[in-house]
Amino acid sequence: MMILAQIEWSKLFELKVAIRVAMLIGLGFPGVVFASSLAARSAKRKLSAQGAMLLRKGIFYVGTTIIILQVLHQLNFQLGALLGAAGIVGIALGFASQTSVSNIISGLFLISEHPFEVGDQIRVGDTTGIVLSIDLLSVKLRTFDNQLVRMPNENLIKTQVNNLTHFPIRRLDINVSVAYKEDVNLVKGILLDIAKDHPHILDEPEPLVLFQDFGDSALQFLFAVWSVKEDFLILKKTVRELIKARFDAAGIEIPFPHRSLYAGTDTAPFPIRIVSETPGAAASVSPTSLT
Amino acid sequence: MDIWKPQRIDALKIYQARIGPLVLWLRQTDGEMHVAQTYELEGQFMDMHGLKEYVQEVPLHTPWSRWVVEKEMHQVRLTPCLPNRPVVVRTESPVKISVGKEAVFYVSFPIWLKIEAGDGQLIELCDVPSAVRSNTWFGDTMEGELCYSLMTRARRQIEDADHPVYKALCPVRIRNASEDRLDVERFCLHVEHLSLYQGTHLLWTNEVMITFQGEDQISKVDYARQKPKLGSDLKLITPPRTPFKETLLKRSLASIIRFSDS
Repeated sequence: MMILAQIEWSKLFELKVAIRVAMLIGLGFPGVVFASSLAARSAKRKLSAQGAMLLRKGIFYVGTTIIILQVLHQLNFQLGALLGAAGIVGIALGFASQTSVSNIISGLFLISEHPFEVGDQIRVGDTTGIVLSIDLLSVKLRTFDNQLVRMPNENLIKTQVNNLTHFPIRRLDINVSVAYKEDVNLVKGILLDIAKDHPHILDEPEPLVLFQDFGDSALQFLFAVWSVKEDFLILKKTVRELIKARFDAAGIEIPFPHRSLYAGTDTAPFPIRIVSETPGAAASVSPTSLT
Repeated sequence: MDIWKPQRIDALKIYQARIGPLVLWLRQTDGEMHVAQTYELEGQFMDMHGLKEYVQEVPLHTPWSRWVVEKEMHQVRLTPCLPNRPVVVRTESPVKISVGKEAVFYVSFPIWLKIEAGDGQLIELCDVPSAVRSNTWFGDTMEGELCYSLMTRARRQIEDADHPVYKALCPVRIRNASEDRLDVERFCLHVEHLSLYQGTHLLWTNEVMITFQGEDQISKVDYARQKPKLGSDLKLITPPRTPFKETLLKRSLASIIRFSDS
């Protein structure tokens, strides 16, 4: 309101001033939009998507500010008064919009700290998606089922963010269980053969097969393989199917959880009953035993 | 070698070429060129031959890719070229190079084939590897580059190098300019900067010179401008995919890195 009160509106009716203001608005704003997108496009090869976005927004905001100040100047507005008023308004706004200010400051931290950039795949809590933009107030993600998720910058500063695509290669860890009767070396050999034959698994870093533990129902292995981040999804989709197929072909059992009951060698066998399934017949009982 | 000369093909007929483990299929129909490739197992493939009419039935599930071309294209040329990524090769056993000394290694790697078709002026359709590729990573888990891994090892003697017709042989000279002993176990070869030369029977590349300047320094890599000295009657058939600058500073040497516990 203070700004509006200080503007000499009568100036607008002077032809020269009116033309200058119209030119500043009519040519200045499209010019700024054009310049920002041109700069971002030409810098696309040299900068990352994040850098190009920051450049575009930077040029747009600086250009817009200059145009507004020029328009005010043409209308005989005293900028000193505006800067003075800005301090008071800033305090008032700061109290009124603490959340927004917090988000803006968090956004600046996110941009300077650089934990992720546009195009990265990140996981925040239960949400995983690709970063679409890092704005002043929020970060926008596209999830894999094509939803747009808006996350306030303040939340991202406070919580753990996993950047899944920061490094160029990723490791896929698969827990494999086989029956106790199986040959450990044969299982290791089959898993390493799968790694050798799979087109998306890297030879280096070397695939790892680790005999981890004696589980309740199975011998437990860790099968860890590396791929470039672009191939990670297809690797994830195919490698388990391949393990199942190769184990089936080699007759290796992947056991489900089970328990064996036995009463020890010195105890009597467990008594069981076999019930005849003959339709209409009375249930016949034949005593036998289970060891 | 006749394999690399342009060959005439007729529409609606199927042609087959065998180059090492690669079995290449071609057919031309309705203004399209269809290209397919399959691979034989290592050591089980038959002799090489250029494009020949294939009169038998094409195996089911042959993975054809289709290229829109001119209505009539009577010529196809297969040209050997180098892989589109760097290759990582291990030495047969670790070799130690003393301070100020140098060692020459011979590296053989499968070539790729550039397929061109046309009638008079040939246009490039695609390039295909002559052997199944295996990906590897050269560098650490945080930075590095995607390369092809070579099954064959770098040899110190040229007589020991595996050099069938579908592979190119590259002499690599490694000089230790550092103040410590250099253990060479594997190195990365940027084949995209190499030229391919055809000898009487075999394919060669120009020589690569890697100067090791220290554990924390990047190595200096130079690519010879002239033909390799060892081959006879060599002529340039394929220039580099990416022309090299005067001197490239690359990380080309690495000792064994344990990734398994990272």
